[in-house]
Amino acid sequence: MKRPLRGIIAAVAIVGLGASIAACSSSDAPSTGSVDAGADYSGPDVTITFWNGWTGGAAPTIVPQLVKKFNDEHPTITVKEQAIEWADIASKMPLAIKSGKGPDVAVLHGDDIATYGAQGLLLDAGDVVKNLGYSADDFPGGLLDNAQYKGVQYGVPWSVTPLGLYVNNDVLESAGLSTTDLPTDAASYTAALDALKKAGVQGEWVDGFVFTGTFEFESLLWQFGGDLFNDDVSKATFNSKAGVQALTWMRDLVDKGYSPANVAQDGNFNALVGGKTAFNWNGVWQTTNEALQSVDHQAVAVPQIGTQQAVWSSSTHWVFPANKGQDPNKSAAAAAFVKWMNDNSLGWADTGELPAQNSIREDPALLTAHPELKVFLDELDYAHYETVAPGITTAVAEITTAVNEAVLGKKSPQDALDDAAKKADAILQQNAATYGG
Amino acid sequence: MTSTLDRPAPVADGPADAAARPPRHRRSFARALPDLVVYVALVIIAAAIVVPLLWMLLTSFRTDFDTVTRPAVPIPDPWTTDAYRTLLGGAAPILRWFANSLIAAASQTAIVLVTASMAAYALARLEFPGRRIVFGALIATLLVPGVVFLVPNYLIIDRLGWLDTLWAVIVPGSAGAFGVFFLRQFFVSLPGDIEEAARVDGAGDVRIFLRIVLPLARPALATLAVLTFLTNWNDFIWPVYVLLSPEVQTLQPGLSTLEGSYQTHYGIIMAGAVIASVPVLVLFTLAQRQIVESVANAGIKG
Amino acid sequence: MADTVVTLSARGAVRPRGRAPRGRRTLTAYLFLAPFLVLFLAFVVTPAVSGLWISLHTWNELLPLHPFVGLKNFIDLFSPDGLYADDFWESMRATGLFVVLSVPCLLVIPLGIALLLNRRVRAGGVFRGIFFAPYVLGVAVISVLWRFLLDPQLGAVNALLGADIPWTVQVPWAWVSLVGITVWWTLGLNTVILLAGLKGISADLYEAAALDGAGAWRSFRSVTLPGLRPVMTFVTTTTLLASANMFGQSFLITRGAPGTETRTAIMYIADQGLGQGNMGAAAAMSYILFIILAGVSVLNFRLQRDTTR
Repeated sequence: MKRPLRGIIAAVAIVGLGASIAACSSSDAPSTGSVDAGADYSGPDVTITFWNGWTGGAAPTIVPQLVKKFNDEHPTITVKEQAIEWADIASKMPLAIKSGKGPDVAVLHGDDIATYGAQGLLLDAGDVVKNLGYSADDFPGGLLDNAQYKGVQYGVPWSVTPLGLYVNNDVLESAGLSTTDLPTDAASYTAALDALKKAGVQGEWVDGFVFTGTFEFESLLWQFGGDLFNDDVSKATFNSKAGVQALTWMRDLVDKGYSPANVAQDGNFNALVGGKTAFNWNGVWQTTNEALQSVDHQAVAVPQIGTQQAVWSSSTHWVFPANKGQDPNKSAAAAAFVKWMNDNSLGWADTGELPAQNSIREDPALLTAHPELKVFLDELDYAHYETVAPGITTAVAEITTAVNEAVLGKKSPQDALDDAAKKADAILQQNAATYGG
Repeated sequence: MTSTLDRPAPVADGPADAAARPPRHRRSFARALPDLVVYVALVIIAAAIVVPLLWMLLTSFRTDFDTVTRPAVPIPDPWTTDAYRTLLGGAAPILRWFANSLIAAASQTAIVLVTASMAAYALARLEFPGRRIVFGALIATLLVPGVVFLVPNYLIIDRLGWLDTLWAVIVPGSAGAFGVFFLRQFFVSLPGDIEEAARVDGAGDVRIFLRIVLPLARPALATLAVLTFLTNWNDFIWPVYVLLSPEVQTLQPGLSTLEGSYQTHYGIIMAGAVIASVPVLVLFTLAQRQIVESVANAGIKG
Repeated sequence: MADTVVTLSARGAVRPRGRAPRGRRTLTAYLFLAPFLVLFLAFVVTPAVSGLWISLHTWNELLPLHPFVGLKNFIDLFSPDGLYADDFWESMRATGLFVVLSVPCLLVIPLGIALLLNRRVRAGGVFRGIFFAPYVLGVAVISVLWRFLLDPQLGAVNALLGADIPWTVQVPWAWVSLVGITVWWTLGLNTVILLAGLKGISADLYEAAALDGAGAWRSFRSVTLPGLRPVMTFVTTTTLLASANMFGQSFLITRGAPGTETRTAIMYIADQGLGQGNMGAAAAMSYILFIILAGVSVLNFRLQRDTTR
């Protein structure tokens, strides 16, 4: 709020020079710095900012508590925490980092890391991982690698959020089904859906939106032995036979009367809470859903519909933004903060996310506090995380379009997936050109 | 035509109508309808508009479980003020956000009223070389999708050192051509005789602008004030990019940080909307008679 | 950011009245314009020009290099194998459809309400307040509200109708919903402006028409509509641009579904430019939309002027 007039005069000075904006922004080379730090911070007093997407629910009370505890224990570091909606972080953080106004430490989802890395927005966190003594074995299989792009470690894993099968016990019982012997495979799941159908209940309302139709499709794709993309992420493979099987299975839910047609986003979860359906594939985060707590419910592993066990999971990671003029001391202090947070992440399960660090998840205290999370912890043995490639979310968005079109009956599963794969291929090609493959 | 058309103006109708001619002169298509039909029609339309609003208000007093399990019934069971407590009683600096929004919207409104009225005066009442070019440029920029402006304006704001300050949400938005257009149309249609008389008396442009044009334009200024305030108050895209610290957040983006990241908290969203819309509704109520009059005057001679 | 009102008056400025010498008059005029022009040049013209410059490049703001590609971004949109051509034109069709469906509703319904309110009604202020009220809500809120009310299986609207209409997920219903919600949300704005226009029509004209023996319909055709012309031009153009810029509703309510059929041009451009860093392509798309809007605006203005001459 200072000197508006001076600002206006300066604005006039750049009038008409659209090209000057081009020039000024094209001169910055991507940052190649790294965070040089261990668990202990020995630099001068610093205040660091920390952005995360944990708005609403339990997180807004837990994060400030943890931050306060950390600040109390570390007299030379003051962490300022800020919860911002994930979508808003995606909007504002890249430009803010480029302007030198981004946070000193932040949390990102697994599918964002390569994009940020390729754009030079993150510091190399390899030394942090090394100095903190982390190795791949400290996290669920493949997760540490998932925060790497082109051999550079950009993130430190923080949490994982697999999909599970949520069950409304009252609905099952009203259809004469057991609430202890729950379906685990295609046969038993179909049998349950049949029994529910006979009782006049559409057992699983399938939707064609990101939350959670896309997650369900990806789980099924992996279960049938397929994958989203090829190994070097240069070509879409989700329209393989496995993909068509997966999407056909979803569309069949509608065709066979297990699901109503035209389910809208959130409709299926609200139906589960409202006692209109029995099953819903949804993320571990829903264990904390307030409305669901008033319902007799449970969550189990997603059934194995295909030939192998697999389940979709998202992941979040600590990252160290490469702000223009980033103070190395602040990044070092941020590294100490990250280590402390991971070591103290036991309470994080309260938020409906699973702590990524194995030692914390294996602490018996976690299951004592949250017995409902056991099935989700067990799922991590076969969970698949986000694809790591810059600009990948654009290509993945095409999958949602395909799922939507097939579930809504606009296209056959094969056609929908083929069309989406064609577009995804073009996007991948363009990404390779943009980010230097 | 029925005799009911000639009924005298009810007191409740206020100055806007009081200034009008006697009712018998005002025959229009709708006047051919009997009063009863008109009221029935108005009440039906008003109901169609109000019912969803009431639904929203009632939802703000429901638990999410109640909302989700009885979606077709609007009445809360049980009634709860939890959503309001979460919003107002939590750790979030919601009053600060409220104040920021007020400062931003009021400042931008003030800037627009001053700069747009001056510019509109020049475009409407003064002849000068380049007038058509300026005017054409104004029109043209209104047709450019706003998306184009975002990144360049971000870089400009950054260069000015306004990033993460309220200036960022006050100044760029006040540069739009909407206000100038609106007022220019109004100024063009103002009667010229008073101004002519003033010039004969030796009044200069500044004096005519301040003493004659602005007072006559007060209703149009009120309209513009409401619309500018409303646009700024409800903006939730631009502030997300340029306001970074919690202390400088405005209300709409601030409220969104109180919603859950994974679930839809219907109660909190609706309570937030109620809190955020009350000031604007009050503003509109205060200004609405002026609004009704303003375009009336602008329209007469168009 | 999206100020969307244009009115092209047939009138020029009034004749020069100043007695001052020409040079000084010009100086005076520019001094009056100066405060606005400073802002306008800095925050509207500069970005608009930058946008044109950007459209000639492959431009990701976050990457160090922005290769110059000339008119490729434009040409790609017109060549069948351009990466964005299909999606862009599909989104343009969606926007065109929304404009065609929504603009008449947003003109006729508010006009009807304004005609009713133009009578000497009791509690006219209350009605005006009610009709305007939805407009003070943000698009995020009205979207959550309507997505909930229009849920195909659980929503109150279908419960009331005893139907299972897929309001938000299938066409044509999604269009009905988007148009209906937009009308509900914004009709108050046009109503207030049109009502003011009606109040500005001289009562003498109605009197004269009545003396000529004109009935209600003829008096509406020959007095009300012509008298409303300037306001109607204003409202038509405003509404046209607002509808052409629609994206919040389809982004939040239908999410473009089914498939990408309700993804509007602005929704697509914003996603390309801001979400995916394809600023160059997005800027090119924006300027194509700009050219089309300019054409439509000029046409609209000509039509409105011609019918009254």
